[in-house]
Amino acid sequence: MSAVHRASAGLKLGVAAALIFGLAALPAERAWWGLCALPPLLALALLARIPIEALLSRWALGAPFLLAAASLGYFQPHGLRVGLALLAKSAVCLLTLQLLIATTPVTELTRTLCRLHLPLVLCETIALLARYSDLLSDEARRMRRARTGRTLRGSRFQEWLALGNSLGLLFVRTVSRAERVQSAMRSRGGA
Amino acid sequence: MHIPDGFLSARVAIGYAALSSVGLGAACFRMRAQHERGASALLGVSAAFVFAAQMVNFPVAAGTSGHLVGSALAGALLGLPGALVVMSAVIIMQCFVLADGGVFALGANVFNMGLVGCVVGFCCYRLLCGAAPSPTRRVASVAFAGWCATIAGALSCAGQLSLSGAARLSVVLPAMLGVHALIGVGEAVISSLVVASVLRFRPELLENAGHGALGARSRNTAVFAGLGLSIAIAGLLAPIADVAPDGFSRVTQALGLHASASPLLAPLSQYGIPSLVSGVLATVIAGCLGTLSLFGLCWLLALALVPRKLRAAESRAVVAESSG
Repeated sequence: MSAVHRASAGLKLGVAAALIFGLAALPAERAWWGLCALPPLLALALLARIPIEALLSRWALGAPFLLAAASLGYFQPHGLRVGLALLAKSAVCLLTLQLLIATTPVTELTRTLCRLHLPLVLCETIALLARYSDLLSDEARRMRRARTGRTLRGSRFQEWLALGNSLGLLFVRTVSRAERVQSAMRSRGGA
Repeated sequence: MHIPDGFLSARVAIGYAALSSVGLGAACFRMRAQHERGASALLGVSAAFVFAAQMVNFPVAAGTSGHLVGSALAGALLGLPGALVVMSAVIIMQCFVLADGGVFALGANVFNMGLVGCVVGFCCYRLLCGAAPSPTRRVASVAFAGWCATIAGALSCAGQLSLSGAARLSVVLPAMLGVHALIGVGEAVISSLVVASVLRFRPELLENAGHGALGARSRNTAVFAGLGLSIAIAGLLAPIADVAPDGFSRVTQALGLHASASPLLAPLSQYGIPSLVSGVLATVIAGCLGTLSLFGLCWLLALALVPRKLRAAESRAVVAESSG
């Protein structure tokens, strides 16, 4: 656990949001100034002992979206300059966000979000989402593995049919799980 | 459709964040009563379901794959306010866990995929379904609603990008609409597959969707239609105000406003509109024809998906009801 990992989630969220808002507010002509944020960010990544390949590979997952959005900017006056500037700016923003995610546990983040006076309904939904998303993703993966284990070969249409069916089944299981969770909450004095 | 950070200008991001927090706040307020009665777990676990469903890849041609977005599906399964809360939670979570879409653009993303997607999807679904729909009609409606929600979200996303000066509207609008007309077909097919299988396993889940919040009474459809229409107009007006930049800036200068005036309030000056009419008319006619043929395809899809047994049972029930 490095100092960056140990810092409070609220602080990290605040700093990341301030940096991203500042970068986003830069006008297109001065977007290159955003690159100034790169050295401190990389220093933080070093301090947190995040392997640079891991950070880069996660960053690369988001990069195609940046490229697609920036390429649309190409078709206007001074298009190349505007497009490249936007690309540089948003690449730094993405790196900031990745750094925040890599050093902060999800539960801490959701707790901080809920402390921002969001409506109670939304808070509880986010908290339960954080709790059950892994579980349900895992269930979807298991259903998929079971299906590929049982069916040898099928047409594209059949595959879509089976995948859609498994999603429908997942929803039915979701509802019955929600009923169980609800009764568990009630028996512990919750709403 | 997730907009990354850095592409939206400050006033666009803040304006859309305000719009979506108003919509989300209203949805949370509507859900509060139901929440206190003891349905809090359903929203959270359903959000986890949407999150998981978005990770399931459907293979398309040549190694590419697509996945569900789910705003129309959530609208059909949970009702409008519930779907709004669920989709917003999913988008917020994706931003902070997967870095899908930016923090600064969060308001705009919630607006496009949450507010616009759910309102348009839910209104289309309800309008097409009517009061007591047959299974076939339900599946066809959800398919068409999925397509409409995708297109509406893409429209509003294109408007935001061009308002921010990240791209020109004449480039971004056809690009987004073209791509999302295809993505929407995938969304339509997946949504209808899911609803068809829920209908087979537990049909009562669809009967109950949205009761207690915004009911299924048919006199409410006018309200939904108005709501959907106003959102659509808000989304459409922004790009049009941008297409006529001269007129727009002239009006704002005349009023002594800076360019930061809200685009939604921009009056449609006569400047530049006449030259647009013929091109816009042709596009509108083509769009209408395309949409109509897509609706026909949705109906055929529903006929293929709903098993004959269910359809026969439905018609027998109708006959029994009318005779008895």
